[in-house]
Amino acid sequence: MRNKILYALGAIALLILIRDILGIAQLPDEKYQGAIFKIIFFHVPVAITALTASAVALVASVLFLVTKNFFFDALAVAVTEVGLAFLAANLITGSIWGRVIWGVWWAWDARLTSALVCWLLYAGYLMLRHAIEEPTQRATFAAVFSIFAFIDVPIVIFSIKWWRTQHPQPVFWGGGSFPKDWMPFFLWNMLAMILIGTIFTITRLRQEESQRELDYLRRLAHSM
Amino acid sequence: MNIAPFALLFQSVEDILLEKQRLQHNYQFLSYGLIVAWLILVVYVLMMVSRQNKLKKQISDLKAMLEEKH
Repeated sequence: MRNKILYALGAIALLILIRDILGIAQLPDEKYQGAIFKIIFFHVPVAITALTASAVALVASVLFLVTKNFFFDALAVAVTEVGLAFLAANLITGSIWGRVIWGVWWAWDARLTSALVCWLLYAGYLMLRHAIEEPTQRATFAAVFSIFAFIDVPIVIFSIKWWRTQHPQPVFWGGGSFPKDWMPFFLWNMLAMILIGTIFTITRLRQEESQRELDYLRRLAHSM
Repeated sequence: MNIAPFALLFQSVEDILLEKQRLQHNYQFLSYGLIVAWLILVVYVLMMVSRQNKLKKQISDLKAMLEEKH
């Protein structure tokens, strides 16, 4: 049953994406930036999905520390790994966009740097988990590290408000302009990315359950 | 003879060519961006599938071993 729900969600996400890609291809080029501006339909939704994932990881980590329930630890690692993949997609699409508009692949401004630091922190979180053998200690240290890593998330979001950056002001909530008839495509793409992120997280969560079953069987084999 | 109108004509041809080049460059980078973004997600899915297969195999091997011991 759970598999069927996952497949159904995946099919819905794919249909939305195919419909959107066909629609976006028909849209005229943006007045100042040309065709490259259309990368916004992927660059921003993957960023929002990644930052939502880090918020879920924060909540799961806090809940693990409070309840000591390992489901929350599994959820935190699953959602962090998925968020990391989405943040990587965001950084790379942003770099390609920057190459066309700014003429450089990378600028050490507050938004780009804080996003890279965010990626490195969450990659560090996954490395930390690999380094600790004992499950309770691993989950506790990882939860504390995840809470610490989340400090960077508001900095990523508000950096373009707090400092003058090479990265432009937000298109949606800070003086930027986004054609109104492009909005439905953007919102549908946003929904598709969130769906894909959710499917990845559930799949990854099930792998954590399998990992726990494997650990239990190993312990059983050792005790025999 | 006044050549200003011809100069303008050549200027606009050059402008059109430059604009065409800029647009092609734009499309090229847009496709790079989209390919890379999807590639990352596809590679991640492949990693998950490989991990899933590995876990399944390890679990079934261990179960078989435990049954043998019993």
